[in-house]
Amino acid sequence: MSLPLLFVDELRGFYRSRVMLFLWVGMPVLALVVHLLAQSSSEMPVTVLTAILVSTLSGTLASAMLVVSILSERERHVFDLFVVRPVKRRDILLSKFLAVYLCVVSAAMIAVGVGALIDYFNAAVPMDIVLDGVAKSLVMSFAMLAVTAAAGVLIGIAAPSMLVGVILVIYGGNQMSGVVGLAGYYLGNDALTIGIGLVLAVVLLAISVRVFDRKQL
Amino acid sequence: MPDDGDVVVFKDVTKRYRDVVAVDRASFTMRAGDVFGFIGPNGAGKTTTIRIMVGLIQDHEGQVSVGGHPMPAAMAEAHRDLGYMPQQVNFQDWRTVDQALSTFARLSGVPRDEVPWRIKEVLELVDILEYRGKRVTELSGGTLQKVGMAQALIHRPKLLVLDEPMSGLDPASRWQFKQIIKNLGRAGTSIFFSSHILSDVQDVANRIGILSRGRLMWTGTFEDLAAHFKVTNDYDIVLSLDNGRWKELASLAGLTAVVEVAPGRLLARIGAGADVDATVHAILAGLLERGCRVRSLGPITPNLEQLYMRYVQGGGGA
Repeated sequence: MSLPLLFVDELRGFYRSRVMLFLWVGMPVLALVVHLLAQSSSEMPVTVLTAILVSTLSGTLASAMLVVSILSERERHVFDLFVVRPVKRRDILLSKFLAVYLCVVSAAMIAVGVGALIDYFNAAVPMDIVLDGVAKSLVMSFAMLAVTAAAGVLIGIAAPSMLVGVILVIYGGNQMSGVVGLAGYYLGNDALTIGIGLVLAVVLLAISVRVFDRKQL
Repeated sequence: MPDDGDVVVFKDVTKRYRDVVAVDRASFTMRAGDVFGFIGPNGAGKTTTIRIMVGLIQDHEGQVSVGGHPMPAAMAEAHRDLGYMPQQVNFQDWRTVDQALSTFARLSGVPRDEVPWRIKEVLELVDILEYRGKRVTELSGGTLQKVGMAQALIHRPKLLVLDEPMSGLDPASRWQFKQIIKNLGRAGTSIFFSSHILSDVQDVANRIGILSRGRLMWTGTFEDLAAHFKVTNDYDIVLSLDNGRWKELASLAGLTAVVEVAPGRLLARIGAGADVDATVHAILAGLLERGCRVRSLGPITPNLEQLYMRYVQGGGGA
Protein backbone atom coordinates (compact mmCIF):
# COMPACT_ATOMS: atom_id res chain seq x y z
CA MET A 1 0.00 0.00 0.00
CA SER A 2 1.82 3.10 -1.21
CA LEU A 3 -0.85 5.70 -0.37
CA PRO A 4 0.30 6.55 3.18
CA LEU A 5 3.90 6.87 2.00
CA LEU A 6 2.95 9.04 -0.98
CA PHE A 7 0.59 11.13 1.15
CA VAL A 8 3.28 11.96 3.72
CA ASP A 9 5.66 12.66 0.86
CA GLU A 10 3.27 15.04 -0.90
CA LEU A 11 2.43 16.72 2.38
CA ARG A 12 6.14 17.34 2.89
CA GLY A 13 6.25 19.00 -0.52
CA PHE A 14 3.05 21.04 -0.30
CA TYR A 15 3.14 22.39 3.24
CA ARG A 16 6.24 24.48 2.51
CA SER A 17 5.38 25.51 -1.03
CA ARG A 18 5.12 29.22 -1.80
CA VAL A 19 1.34 29.07 -2.13
CA MET A 20 1.03 27.35 1.23
CA LEU A 21 3.39 29.84 2.79
CA PHE A 22 0.96 32.52 1.67
CA LEU A 23 -1.90 30.57 3.20
CA TRP A 24 -0.15 29.81 6.50
CA VAL A 25 0.93 33.41 6.98
CA GLY A 26 -1.38 35.33 4.64
CA MET A 27 -4.71 34.06 5.92
CA PRO A 28 -4.14 34.89 9.60
CA VAL A 29 -2.79 38.26 8.50
CA LEU A 30 -5.98 38.64 6.45
CA ALA A 31 -7.99 38.00 9.62
CA LEU A 32 -6.13 40.82 11.34
CA VAL A 33 -6.65 43.14 8.38
CA VAL A 34 -10.35 42.25 8.38
CA HIS A 35 -10.44 43.09 12.10
CA LEU A 36 -8.87 46.50 11.50
CA LEU A 37 -11.23 47.25 8.61
CA ALA A 38 -14.30 45.85 10.36
CA GLN A 39 -13.72 48.07 13.38
CA SER A 40 -14.60 51.09 11.29
CA SER A 41 -17.10 49.72 8.79
CA SER A 42 -19.04 46.72 10.02
CA GLU A 43 -20.60 45.11 12.98
CA MET A 44 -20.08 41.62 11.58
CA PRO A 45 -17.78 39.45 13.73
CA VAL A 46 -14.22 39.00 12.38
CA THR A 47 -14.64 35.22 12.57
CA VAL A 48 -17.53 35.33 10.12
CA LEU A 49 -15.78 37.73 7.75
CA THR A 50 -12.62 35.62 7.81
CA ALA A 51 -14.61 32.46 7.21
CA ILE A 52 -16.25 34.05 4.14
CA LEU A 53 -12.88 35.16 2.77
CA VAL A 54 -11.29 31.80 3.48
CA SER A 55 -14.16 29.98 1.77
CA THR A 56 -13.77 32.14 -1.31
CA LEU A 57 -9.99 31.86 -1.54
CA SER A 58 -9.29 28.32 -0.47
CA GLY A 59 -11.21 26.54 -3.26
CA THR A 60 -9.51 28.55 -5.99
CA LEU A 61 -6.09 28.12 -4.43
CA ALA A 62 -6.47 24.39 -3.81
CA SER A 63 -7.67 23.62 -7.32
CA ALA A 64 -5.05 25.88 -8.91
CA MET A 65 -2.31 24.24 -6.82
CA LEU A 66 -3.43 20.79 -7.89
CA VAL A 67 -3.73 21.68 -11.58
CA VAL A 68 -0.33 23.35 -11.71
CA SER A 69 1.35 20.56 -9.75
CA ILE A 70 -0.14 17.70 -11.79
CA LEU A 71 0.31 19.37 -15.18
CA SER A 72 3.86 20.43 -14.43
CA GLU A 73 4.78 16.91 -13.28
CA ARG A 74 3.06 15.41 -16.32
CA GLU A 75 4.87 17.71 -18.74
CA ARG A 76 8.26 17.11 -17.11
CA HIS A 77 7.66 13.33 -16.92
CA VAL A 78 8.11 13.35 -13.14
CA PHE A 79 5.37 10.70 -12.86
CA ASP A 80 7.42 8.27 -14.94
CA LEU A 81 9.69 7.41 -12.02
CA PHE A 82 6.65 6.66 -9.84
CA VAL A 83 4.58 4.60 -12.25
CA VAL A 84 7.49 2.29 -13.17
CA ARG A 85 7.40 1.09 -9.59
CA PRO A 86 4.83 -1.18 -7.97
CA VAL A 87 2.65 1.85 -7.23
CA LYS A 88 -1.00 2.26 -8.14
CA ARG A 89 -1.64 5.34 -10.23
CA ARG A 90 -4.72 5.92 -8.11
CA ASP A 91 -2.52 6.40 -5.05
CA ILE A 92 -0.45 9.08 -6.78
CA LEU A 93 -3.54 11.19 -7.43
CA LEU A 94 -5.23 10.55 -4.10
CA SER A 95 -2.08 11.45 -2.18
CA LYS A 96 -1.90 14.80 -3.97
CA PHE A 97 -5.58 15.50 -3.39
CA LEU A 98 -5.45 14.60 0.29
CA ALA A 99 -2.22 16.54 0.93
CA VAL A 100 -3.52 19.73 -0.69
CA TYR A 101 -6.92 19.38 0.95
CA LEU A 102 -5.42 18.87 4.40
CA CYS A 103 -2.99 21.78 3.98
CA VAL A 104 -5.68 24.21 2.77
CA VAL A 105 -8.20 23.14 5.42
CA SER A 106 -5.56 23.50 8.14
CA ALA A 107 -4.58 26.97 6.90
CA ALA A 108 -8.25 27.99 6.78
CA MET A 109 -8.84 26.72 10.32
CA ILE A 110 -5.84 28.65 11.59
CA ALA A 111 -7.12 31.85 9.94
CA VAL A 112 -10.60 31.39 11.34
CA GLY A 113 -9.04 30.56 14.72
CA VAL A 114 -7.19 33.87 14.67
CA GLY A 115 -10.46 35.61 13.78
CA ALA A 116 -12.20 33.86 16.67
CA LEU A 117 -9.46 34.94 19.06
CA ILE A 118 -9.90 38.55 17.98
CA ASP A 119 -13.65 38.28 18.44
CA TYR A 120 -13.20 36.66 21.83
CA PHE A 121 -11.48 39.75 23.09
CA ASN A 122 -13.43 42.36 21.13
CA ALA A 123 -16.78 41.24 19.79
CA ALA A 124 -20.09 42.36 21.12
CA VAL A 125 -21.81 39.23 19.81
CA PRO A 126 -21.65 36.16 22.12
CA MET A 127 -18.92 33.73 21.00
CA ASP A 128 -21.08 30.60 21.10
CA ILE A 129 -23.48 32.10 18.53
CA VAL A 130 -20.58 33.23 16.31
CA LEU A 131 -18.80 29.87 16.45
CA ASP A 132 -21.96 27.88 15.84
CA GLY A 133 -22.73 29.83 12.66
CA VAL A 134 -19.12 29.73 11.47
CA ALA A 135 -18.73 26.00 12.13
CA LYS A 136 -21.75 25.22 9.96
CA SER A 137 -20.64 27.43 7.10
CA LEU A 138 -17.06 26.14 7.32
CA VAL A 139 -18.16 22.51 7.09
CA MET A 140 -20.17 23.48 4.02
CA SER A 141 -17.16 25.34 2.62
CA PHE A 142 -14.93 22.34 3.14
CA ALA A 143 -17.39 20.14 1.27
CA MET A 144 -17.30 22.66 -1.58
CA LEU A 145 -13.49 22.73 -1.33
CA ALA A 146 -13.41 18.94 -1.75
CA VAL A 147 -15.41 19.29 -4.99
CA THR A 148 -13.21 22.10 -6.32
CA ALA A 149 -10.02 20.24 -5.43
CA ALA A 150 -11.31 17.05 -7.06
CA ALA A 151 -12.16 19.08 -10.18
CA GLY A 152 -8.59 20.41 -10.05
CA VAL A 153 -7.25 16.85 -10.07
CA LEU A 154 -9.41 15.94 -13.07
CA ILE A 155 -8.43 19.04 -15.02
CA GLY A 156 -4.76 18.46 -14.16
CA ILE A 157 -4.91 14.95 -15.57
CA ALA A 158 -7.05 15.67 -18.61
CA ALA A 159 -5.96 19.13 -19.77
CA PRO A 160 -3.64 19.12 -22.79
CA SER A 161 -1.51 22.04 -21.55
CA MET A 162 -0.84 24.29 -18.58
CA LEU A 163 -2.62 27.23 -20.17
CA VAL A 164 -5.77 25.25 -20.91
CA GLY A 165 -5.63 23.71 -17.43
CA VAL A 166 -5.42 27.05 -15.66
CA ILE A 167 -8.23 28.55 -17.77
CA LEU A 168 -10.43 25.54 -17.11
CA VAL A 169 -9.82 25.59 -13.38
CA ILE A 170 -10.50 29.31 -13.07
CA TYR A 171 -13.61 29.40 -15.22
CA GLY A 172 -14.91 25.89 -14.79
CA GLY A 173 -13.48 24.08 -11.77
CA ASN A 174 -14.66 26.52 -9.17
CA GLN A 175 -18.18 26.61 -10.62
CA MET A 176 -18.56 22.92 -9.82
CA SER A 177 -18.62 23.69 -6.14
CA GLY A 178 -21.67 25.83 -6.90
CA VAL A 179 -23.60 22.57 -7.20
CA VAL A 180 -23.07 22.09 -3.48
CA GLY A 181 -24.18 25.67 -2.77
CA LEU A 182 -27.31 25.26 -4.88
CA ALA A 183 -28.13 21.95 -3.22
CA GLY A 184 -27.81 23.64 0.16
CA TYR A 185 -30.08 26.46 -0.96
CA TYR A 186 -32.85 24.18 -2.32
CA LEU A 187 -32.60 21.28 0.15
CA GLY A 188 -32.05 23.30 3.30
CA ASN A 189 -30.49 20.23 4.88
CA ASP A 190 -26.83 20.68 5.81
CA ALA A 191 -25.98 17.01 6.24
CA LEU A 192 -27.52 16.11 2.89
CA THR A 193 -25.78 19.01 1.17
CA ILE A 194 -22.42 18.00 2.58
CA GLY A 195 -23.13 14.41 1.53
CA ILE A 196 -23.85 15.54 -2.03
CA GLY A 197 -20.58 17.50 -2.04
CA LEU A 198 -18.59 14.52 -0.86
CA VAL A 199 -20.24 12.16 -3.36
CA LEU A 200 -19.51 14.62 -6.17
CA ALA A 201 -15.88 14.87 -5.06
CA VAL A 202 -15.57 11.07 -4.98
CA VAL A 203 -17.12 10.80 -8.47
CA LEU A 204 -14.70 13.41 -9.86
CA LEU A 205 -11.76 11.63 -8.26
CA ALA A 206 -12.93 8.27 -9.62
CA ILE A 207 -13.12 9.76 -13.15
CA SER A 208 -9.64 11.26 -12.68
CA VAL A 209 -8.22 7.88 -11.64
CA ARG A 210 -9.86 6.20 -14.63
CA VAL A 211 -8.43 8.80 -17.02
CA PHE A 212 -4.97 8.59 -15.42
CA ASP A 213 -4.98 4.79 -15.60
CA ARG A 214 -5.52 5.00 -19.35
CA LYS A 215 -3.19 7.91 -19.92
CA GLN A 216 -0.10 7.22 -22.00
CA LEU A 217 2.67 9.05 -20.16
CA MET B 1 11.58 -12.77 -12.10
CA PRO B 2 13.04 -16.08 -13.24
CA ASP B 3 16.83 -16.47 -13.07
CA ASP B 4 17.01 -18.07 -16.47
CA GLY B 5 15.18 -17.53 -19.69
CA ASP B 6 13.92 -14.48 -21.46
CA VAL B 7 13.62 -11.36 -19.34
CA VAL B 8 12.15 -9.26 -22.13
CA VAL B 9 10.03 -10.55 -24.99
CA PHE B 10 8.63 -8.33 -27.74
CA LYS B 11 6.35 -10.03 -30.23
CA ASP B 12 5.09 -8.06 -33.24
CA VAL B 13 4.92 -4.86 -31.25
CA THR B 14 3.62 -1.85 -33.17
CA LYS B 15 2.97 1.61 -31.83
CA ARG B 16 1.33 4.30 -33.94
CA TYR B 17 0.96 7.99 -33.23
CA ARG B 18 -1.92 8.76 -35.61
CA ASP B 19 -0.33 8.26 -39.05
CA VAL B 20 3.23 7.88 -37.80
CA VAL B 21 4.45 4.37 -37.05
CA ALA B 22 6.94 4.81 -34.20
CA VAL B 23 7.60 1.10 -33.72
CA ASP B 24 6.81 -1.30 -36.54
CA ARG B 25 6.27 -4.98 -35.75
CA ALA B 26 9.29 -5.21 -33.44
CA SER B 27 10.11 -8.72 -32.25
CA PHE B 28 13.06 -9.64 -30.09
CA THR B 29 14.00 -11.39 -26.90
CA MET B 30 16.50 -10.49 -24.24
CA ARG B 31 18.02 -13.28 -22.20
CA ALA B 32 18.75 -13.06 -18.49
CA GLY B 33 22.21 -11.59 -17.95
CA ASP B 34 22.31 -9.87 -21.35
CA VAL B 35 23.68 -6.38 -21.69
CA PHE B 36 21.62 -5.32 -24.67
CA GLY B 37 22.66 -2.16 -26.52
CA PHE B 38 19.93 -0.55 -28.59
CA ILE B 39 21.09 1.76 -31.35
CA GLY B 40 19.36 3.80 -34.00
CA PRO B 41 19.23 7.31 -35.43
CA ASN B 42 17.08 10.07 -33.95
CA GLY B 43 13.40 9.30 -34.32
CA ALA B 44 14.05 5.60 -34.94
CA GLY B 45 11.74 4.59 -32.09
CA LYS B 46 14.25 3.74 -29.35
CA THR B 47 12.55 5.75 -26.61
CA THR B 48 9.09 4.53 -27.65
CA THR B 49 10.33 0.93 -27.48
CA ILE B 50 11.74 1.55 -24.02
CA ARG B 51 8.58 3.28 -22.80
CA ILE B 52 6.53 0.32 -24.03
CA MET B 53 8.93 -2.03 -22.24
CA VAL B 54 8.59 -0.30 -18.87
CA GLY B 55 4.81 0.11 -19.18
CA LEU B 56 4.58 3.86 -19.74
CA ILE B 57 2.95 3.23 -23.10
CA GLN B 58 0.26 0.58 -23.05
CA ASP B 59 -1.85 1.24 -26.14
CA HIS B 60 0.31 -0.72 -28.56
CA GLU B 61 -0.30 -3.74 -30.71
CA GLY B 62 1.52 -7.02 -30.15
CA GLN B 63 2.69 -8.73 -26.99
CA VAL B 64 5.24 -7.65 -24.43
CA SER B 65 6.43 -9.56 -21.41
CA VAL B 66 8.95 -8.37 -18.84
CA GLY B 67 10.49 -10.75 -16.34
CA GLY B 68 8.08 -13.42 -17.51
CA HIS B 69 5.10 -11.18 -16.70
CA PRO B 70 2.76 -10.10 -19.51
CA MET B 71 2.45 -6.34 -19.86
CA PRO B 72 0.36 -4.47 -18.98
CA ALA B 73 -1.75 -7.20 -17.28
CA ALA B 74 0.89 -8.10 -14.68
CA MET B 75 2.68 -4.77 -14.60
CA ALA B 76 2.98 -4.53 -10.81
CA GLU B 77 4.87 -7.85 -10.71
CA ALA B 78 7.11 -6.78 -13.61
CA HIS B 79 7.87 -3.46 -11.93
CA ARG B 80 9.07 -5.11 -8.73
CA ASP B 81 12.40 -6.10 -10.29
CA LEU B 82 12.69 -3.29 -12.82
CA GLY B 83 14.94 -0.23 -12.63
CA TYR B 84 14.36 2.53 -15.18
CA MET B 85 16.29 5.64 -16.01
CA PRO B 86 14.57 7.95 -18.51
CA GLN B 87 16.37 10.07 -21.05
CA GLN B 88 15.57 13.23 -19.12
CA VAL B 89 15.45 12.78 -15.39
CA ASN B 90 13.15 15.12 -13.47
CA PHE B 91 12.09 15.19 -9.87
CA GLN B 92 9.66 17.38 -7.95
CA ASP B 93 11.43 20.69 -7.32
CA TRP B 94 11.10 20.63 -3.54
CA ARG B 95 13.03 17.37 -3.15
CA THR B 96 16.58 16.91 -2.00
CA VAL B 97 18.59 14.06 -3.47
CA ASP B 98 18.20 12.16 -0.21
CA GLN B 99 14.41 12.64 -0.11
CA ALA B 100 14.01 11.61 -3.75
CA LEU B 101 16.02 8.42 -3.30
CA SER B 102 14.36 7.64 0.01
CA THR B 103 10.88 7.86 -1.54
CA PHE B 104 11.78 5.75 -4.56
CA ALA B 105 13.52 3.17 -2.37
CA ARG B 106 10.48 2.82 -0.14
CA LEU B 107 8.08 2.66 -3.10
CA SER B 108 10.23 -0.08 -4.60
CA GLY B 109 9.96 -2.14 -1.46
CA VAL B 110 13.29 -1.46 0.24
CA PRO B 111 12.82 -1.96 4.01
CA ARG B 112 12.83 1.32 5.95
CA ASP B 113 15.94 0.48 8.00
CA GLU B 114 17.95 -0.32 4.87
CA VAL B 115 17.12 2.91 3.05
CA PRO B 116 19.88 5.21 4.50
CA TRP B 117 22.75 2.89 3.67
CA ARG B 118 21.29 1.94 0.31
CA ILE B 119 21.22 5.65 -0.56
CA LYS B 120 24.84 5.99 0.56
CA GLU B 121 25.78 2.93 -1.47
CA VAL B 122 24.27 4.13 -4.77
CA LEU B 123 25.48 7.71 -4.36
CA GLU B 124 29.00 6.42 -3.76
CA LEU B 125 28.65 4.22 -6.82
CA VAL B 126 27.82 7.21 -9.05
CA ASP B 127 30.27 9.37 -7.11
CA ILE B 128 27.92 12.12 -5.88
CA LEU B 129 27.68 11.38 -2.17
CA GLU B 130 28.48 15.02 -1.36
CA TYR B 131 25.22 16.07 -3.08
CA ARG B 132 23.05 13.97 -0.77
CA GLY B 133 21.52 16.94 1.06
CA LYS B 134 21.22 19.22 -1.99
CA ARG B 135 17.94 20.16 -3.59
CA VAL B 136 17.52 18.68 -7.04
CA THR B 137 17.00 22.17 -8.50
CA GLU B 138 20.55 23.07 -7.51
CA LEU B 139 22.13 20.21 -9.46
CA SER B 140 23.79 20.36 -12.89
CA GLY B 141 22.39 18.28 -15.74
CA GLY B 142 25.14 15.66 -15.39
CA THR B 143 24.66 15.32 -11.64
CA LEU B 144 20.90 15.04 -12.10
CA GLN B 145 21.54 12.23 -14.58
CA LYS B 146 23.63 10.48 -11.94
CA VAL B 147 20.78 10.82 -9.44
CA GLY B 148 18.62 9.29 -12.18
CA MET B 149 20.96 6.32 -12.34
CA ALA B 150 21.00 6.10 -8.53
CA GLN B 151 17.19 5.92 -8.31
CA ALA B 152 17.17 3.17 -10.92
CA LEU B 153 19.67 1.13 -8.88
CA ILE B 154 18.43 1.83 -5.34
CA HIS B 155 16.33 -1.36 -5.09
CA ARG B 156 18.89 -3.58 -6.85
CA PRO B 157 16.68 -4.48 -9.81
CA LYS B 158 17.24 -7.61 -11.83
CA LEU B 159 16.42 -5.76 -15.04
CA LEU B 160 17.80 -2.30 -15.65
CA VAL B 161 16.37 -0.24 -18.53
CA LEU B 162 18.35 2.88 -19.40
CA ASP B 163 17.33 5.40 -22.06
CA GLU B 164 20.43 7.16 -23.40
CA PRO B 165 22.19 6.93 -20.03
CA MET B 166 25.46 8.39 -21.22
CA SER B 167 24.33 11.27 -23.41
CA GLY B 168 25.34 14.63 -22.04
CA LEU B 169 27.89 13.24 -19.61
CA ASP B 170 31.50 14.36 -19.54
CA PRO B 171 34.09 11.74 -20.60
CA ALA B 172 35.01 10.78 -17.04
CA SER B 173 31.37 10.25 -16.07
CA ARG B 174 30.74 8.30 -19.27
CA TRP B 175 33.61 6.00 -18.43
CA GLN B 176 32.21 5.65 -14.91
CA PHE B 177 28.73 4.77 -16.20
CA LYS B 178 30.22 2.19 -18.56
CA GLN B 179 32.08 0.62 -15.66
CA ILE B 180 28.88 0.51 -13.62
CA ILE B 181 26.99 -1.14 -16.48
CA LYS B 182 29.82 -3.63 -17.08
CA ASN B 183 30.07 -4.51 -13.39
CA LEU B 184 26.32 -4.93 -13.01
CA GLY B 185 26.27 -7.07 -16.14
CA ARG B 186 29.03 -9.26 -14.72
CA ALA B 187 27.08 -9.58 -11.48
CA GLY B 188 24.10 -10.94 -13.42
CA THR B 189 21.86 -7.89 -13.84
CA SER B 190 20.13 -7.83 -17.22
CA ILE B 191 20.59 -4.42 -18.79
CA PHE B 192 18.80 -2.89 -21.75
CA PHE B 193 20.13 0.49 -22.83
CA SER B 194 19.90 2.79 -25.80
CA SER B 195 22.67 5.03 -27.00
CA HIS B 196 23.76 7.23 -29.85
CA ILE B 197 27.37 6.71 -28.90
CA LEU B 198 28.15 3.55 -30.80
CA SER B 199 31.58 3.03 -29.27
CA ASP B 200 29.91 2.95 -25.86
CA VAL B 201 27.53 0.24 -27.05
CA GLN B 202 30.43 -1.74 -28.47
CA ASP B 203 32.39 -1.35 -25.22
CA VAL B 204 29.58 -2.45 -22.95
CA ALA B 205 26.96 -4.55 -24.74
CA ASN B 206 27.15 -8.25 -25.46
CA ARG B 207 24.08 -8.03 -27.70
CA ILE B 208 23.05 -5.28 -30.04
CA GLY B 209 19.76 -4.25 -31.60
CA ILE B 210 19.62 -1.91 -34.57
CA LEU B 211 16.46 0.13 -34.99
CA SER B 212 15.75 2.22 -38.06
CA ARG B 213 12.52 4.08 -38.87
CA GLY B 214 10.62 2.12 -36.28
CA ARG B 215 11.76 -1.24 -37.56
CA LEU B 216 14.09 -3.49 -35.67
CA MET B 217 16.54 -4.30 -38.42
CA TRP B 218 18.80 -6.68 -36.60
CA THR B 219 19.63 -8.18 -33.20
CA GLY B 220 22.59 -10.31 -32.20
CA THR B 221 26.18 -10.09 -31.04
CA PHE B 222 28.71 -7.74 -32.55
CA GLU B 223 30.47 -10.75 -34.09
CA ASP B 224 27.18 -11.87 -35.65
CA LEU B 225 26.77 -8.41 -37.11
CA ALA B 226 30.26 -8.51 -38.66
CA ALA B 227 29.52 -11.98 -40.03
CA HIS B 228 26.16 -10.80 -41.37
CA PHE B 229 27.97 -8.26 -43.52
CA LYS B 230 30.41 -10.93 -44.65
CA VAL B 231 33.25 -8.75 -43.47
CA THR B 232 36.30 -9.63 -45.49
CA ASN B 233 39.45 -10.81 -43.85
CA ASP B 234 41.54 -7.71 -44.33
CA TYR B 235 44.97 -7.44 -42.79
CA ASP B 236 46.96 -4.32 -42.09
CA ILE B 237 50.69 -4.70 -42.66
CA VAL B 238 53.24 -2.06 -41.65
CA LEU B 239 56.71 -2.43 -43.17
CA SER B 240 59.83 -0.92 -41.62
CA LEU B 241 61.74 -1.71 -44.85
CA ASP B 242 59.77 -1.51 -48.07
CA ASN B 243 61.68 -2.63 -51.16
CA GLY B 244 58.55 -2.92 -53.29
CA ARG B 245 58.86 -6.68 -53.75
CA TRP B 246 55.64 -7.27 -51.79
CA LYS B 247 53.90 -6.84 -55.17
CA GLU B 248 55.10 -10.35 -56.03
CA LEU B 249 52.72 -11.71 -53.39
CA ALA B 250 49.70 -10.88 -55.55
CA SER B 251 49.73 -14.39 -56.95
CA LEU B 252 49.80 -16.03 -53.52
CA ALA B 253 47.10 -18.66 -53.05
CA GLY B 254 44.18 -17.39 -50.93
CA LEU B 255 45.15 -13.75 -51.32
CA THR B 256 42.73 -11.73 -53.46
CA ALA B 257 44.52 -8.39 -53.28
CA VAL B 258 47.50 -6.66 -51.78
CA VAL B 259 47.66 -2.89 -52.13
CA GLU B 260 49.70 -0.05 -50.73
CA VAL B 261 47.39 2.25 -48.78
CA ALA B 262 50.19 4.56 -47.59
CA PRO B 263 53.97 4.55 -47.85
CA GLY B 264 55.13 1.45 -45.97
CA ARG B 265 51.58 0.36 -45.22
CA LEU B 266 49.79 -2.46 -47.05
CA LEU B 267 46.32 -3.91 -47.06
CA ALA B 268 46.09 -7.62 -47.78
CA ARG B 269 42.68 -9.10 -48.49
CA ILE B 270 42.18 -12.82 -47.97
CA GLY B 271 39.47 -14.39 -50.10
CA ALA B 272 36.35 -16.02 -48.75
CA GLY B 273 36.88 -19.72 -48.24
CA ALA B 274 40.65 -19.43 -47.93
CA ASP B 275 42.46 -20.85 -44.91
CA VAL B 276 43.07 -17.59 -43.09
CA ASP B 277 45.80 -18.82 -40.74
CA ALA B 278 47.75 -20.53 -43.53
CA THR B 279 47.44 -17.51 -45.83
CA VAL B 280 48.58 -15.05 -43.14
CA HIS B 281 51.55 -17.31 -42.45
CA ALA B 282 52.36 -17.41 -46.16
CA ILE B 283 52.10 -13.62 -46.47
CA LEU B 284 54.51 -13.10 -43.60
CA ALA B 285 56.96 -15.72 -44.88
CA GLY B 286 56.73 -14.27 -48.42
CA LEU B 287 57.49 -10.75 -47.23
CA LEU B 288 60.48 -11.87 -45.21
CA GLU B 289 61.81 -14.05 -48.05
CA ARG B 290 61.67 -11.02 -50.36
CA GLY B 291 63.72 -8.87 -47.98
CA CYS B 292 60.87 -6.77 -46.56
CA ARG B 293 61.00 -6.06 -42.85
CA VAL B 294 57.67 -6.33 -41.06
CA ARG B 295 56.94 -4.05 -38.13
CA SER B 296 53.40 -5.25 -37.55
CA LEU B 297 50.68 -7.37 -39.08
CA GLY B 298 47.13 -7.60 -37.81
CA PRO B 299 43.50 -8.01 -38.83
CA ILE B 300 41.39 -4.98 -39.62
CA THR B 301 38.19 -5.25 -37.62
CA PRO B 302 35.40 -2.85 -38.49
CA ASN B 303 33.97 -1.11 -35.47
CA LEU B 304 30.30 -0.91 -34.64
CA GLU B 305 30.05 2.54 -36.15
CA GLN B 306 31.22 1.29 -39.54
CA LEU B 307 28.88 -1.70 -39.43
CA TYR B 308 26.01 0.47 -38.26
CA MET B 309 26.53 2.94 -41.08
CA ARG B 310 26.53 0.09 -43.56
CA TYR B 311 23.22 -1.01 -42.11
CA VAL B 312 21.57 2.39 -42.03
CA GLN B 313 22.87 3.47 -45.44
CA GLY B 314 22.35 0.11 -47.05
CA GLY B 315 18.91 -0.48 -45.58
CA GLY B 316 20.17 -3.56 -43.79
CA GLY B 317 21.53 -5.35 -46.76
CA ALA B 318 24.94 -6.94 -46.59
